Amino acid sequence: MMDPCAKCEEVLQPFLDRDLTDAERFEAEAHLSMCEYCGKRYRFEASLRRYVREATIETMTPELKQRLAALRTPLI
Amino acid sequence: MSETQSEGEPRRLAEEARDRVRFEEEALELADQMYRVARRLVGSREEAEDLVQDAYARAFRSWRSFRPGTNLRAWLFRILTNLNIDRGRREQRAPDTQPIEEGDYYLYNRLEENGGATGVDEVVERLSQDSIVQALSAVPHDFRDVIVLVDIGDFSYQDAAQILDIPVGTVMSRLHRGRRILKQALAESAVGDRA
Repeated sequence: MMDPCAKCEEVLQPFLDRDLTDAERFEAEAHLSMCEYCGKRYRFEASLRRYVREATIETMTPELKQRLAALRTPLI
Repeated sequence: MSETQSEGEPRRLAEEARDRVRFEEEALELADQMYRVARRLVGSREEAEDLVQDAYARAFRSWRSFRPGTNLRAWLFRILTNLNIDRGRREQRAPDTQPIEEGDYYLYNRLEENGGATGVDEVVERLSQDSIVQALSAVPHDFRDVIVLVDIGDFSYQDAAQILDIPVGTVMSRLHRGRRILKQALAESAVGDRA
């Protein structure tokens, strides 16, 4: 029998991706409801994903925007 | 009837021009997202700008091959990722390193051990924005492409599979593995771990 925390760690990504079967998800939720150790690590993963998304935002320059607009087919 | 034929041609041209204008407008509305993804696919701002510009030039040239009603966003990003692959980046692909397969709790455990037990938010805050950008750029291309499309570009597994022309199962396995590699790289930069 696998250690329940190790099993919970195994399904962290599919859980957050909503890619588990109902049975698998219920099992993970049941464990998370009573395991602070895993709960913290799940919350961390969710925050990390948000943070990665925010940290990598980089906007393009207005010059590039203009260059792209200039690629359009000219209207006759 | 020769009359309708001669009248039909200008009308067809006018319709085509209108479709084309609409296509180009809709495509340009996605430019910010295209740039954002491109910026993480390549190493520098200049390369990202060139890549996006080339992608739009190609998209506008081949607009007829886009089928209206299908997913324009996926179609455009496919051009972007194909161009990026075509640009000989295969040569600069990182050697097939076999990282130690740490589990998904690894980064948290390392950060917690290193800074004492605190709340989840404080642990996340130990990672700087720069370290995240750096760590992502250290992830090998095949894995990074998938992370960038799904976690930054917000594409579904199915769309990412279509864009990269790989099976959905491969998208999922690369995504899972890639996120672990990313976390290892973050652990390395944040607490000086050598994986």
